[in-house]
Amino acid sequence: MMTGFITFRSVTFAQRGETVLRRGNIGCSLQRTPRWMEEQGCGYCLRLKLADAKEALRLLRQQQVDFRKVYRRKEDGSVEEMVP
Amino acid sequence: MTYLDHGATSFPKLPEVRRAVHKALERCANPGRGGYGAAMEAAKTVYGCREAAAKLFECAPEQVVFTANCTHGLNIAIETLVKPGSRVVVSGFEHNAVTRPLYARKVGLTVAGRRLFDWADTLDSFAAALKKGADAAVFTHVSNVFGYILPVEEMAALCRSAGVPFILDAAQSAGVLPVSLKKLGADYIAMPGHKGLLGPQGAGILLCGSLPKPLLHGGTGSASRLQEMPDFLPDRAEAGTLNVPGIAGLAAGIRYVSQEGTAAIARRERRQARYCAEALKNRGFRVFSGEHQGGTVSFVGKTDCEELAAALAQQGIAVRSGLHCAPLAHESAGTLDTGTVRVSFGYNACDAQTRQFLQGLDGVRA
Repeated sequence: MMTGFITFRSVTFAQRGETVLRRGNIGCSLQRTPRWMEEQGCGYCLRLKLADAKEALRLLRQQQVDFRKVYRRKEDGSVEEMVP
Repeated sequence: MTYLDHGATSFPKLPEVRRAVHKALERCANPGRGGYGAAMEAAKTVYGCREAAAKLFECAPEQVVFTANCTHGLNIAIETLVKPGSRVVVSGFEHNAVTRPLYARKVGLTVAGRRLFDWADTLDSFAAALKKGADAAVFTHVSNVFGYILPVEEMAALCRSAGVPFILDAAQSAGVLPVSLKKLGADYIAMPGHKGLLGPQGAGILLCGSLPKPLLHGGTGSASRLQEMPDFLPDRAEAGTLNVPGIAGLAAGIRYVSQEGTAAIARRERRQARYCAEALKNRGFRVFSGEHQGGTVSFVGKTDCEELAAALAQQGIAVRSGLHCAPLAHESAGTLDTGTVRVSFGYNACDAQTRQFLQGLDGVRA
């Protein structure tokens, strides 16, 4: 299963995002953002099924929850940034 | 003890508040700093309180900034909006938490509306002061000394139409009266967590309608490579570790207030305040009461206010005497030299409390 990551500037925004996605029946887990994904240093992200990423981004935009970037982990284990 | 000093702090604290504090002490590490269970539990606890406050005060969760107390929030807001030498309009009933930070900035202060319980005077004076020109306005929702509920919706509308940014001091109203960041359109609303919101001391809230200037600079657990404070809420105004146990207790207090309803709490408090005011008048005291009054009553007798409060304390009655950190309000009411004795009801206001207070008072006077 391919995994997606949506990064946020702070834990508060990530938590708000988590609430929005859960209300939209999208499963996700809140975790620290891998260091290399966050150029400003320290942040939180939501990890979710890549298949849910498009709907997740739509919900976040609709609820005006600021997110920073979106990444996907491919089956070979490598991670790349997606254009949201 | 018959506790009638809810204007100072709610007491006793609710069992659910105490339990929430205890649970946080047992389970919570530092929020927004780590990814392990105890850090995430702390983050969840803090965010739960942000969400509960955002719902009660009609704003987004990130607009809820946690402070140490109401004074801390007011200082952030004043630091943001008021530059040294600014022209600032305040009501005649402000607390030192407002007037001292303004005094420190050597502002040009206009005090507008000094007549107690008189909305027409408050609004006319306030409108006239704004018309003369102001850079900012700061006003209290409810006088901590007299319980006077100011017409803040109208005052907010006057500020908005004059294009004057404003700060509301909700120290005595949060948890008791409707307070909406969205409806008022305030730049900032400051409040304590331990009074009407029933939390423990040490946790307050600043609702931010605009981006504040940081008062403290330091770690936020976000954007750590940058040496400037983050340019987003709430992190911009929350440097350093948050008071997680206090915030956990505050969340429990807000949940109680939300379930009970502010209208029901206000009704109980006002009923006792009216009962108390009438009984005091019948006993020959000078009582400050009128329309637009909340659950607080101040009075003056022939005995020095401090001596009377001390004698009441001997009878197990807890009230506050003196100037209540609000000399401006006392100046407005003409009680700066005498002070007053203040009776302030809270979430648990009931007839028995008022009866016990009056019995204690009669015992002192006998």
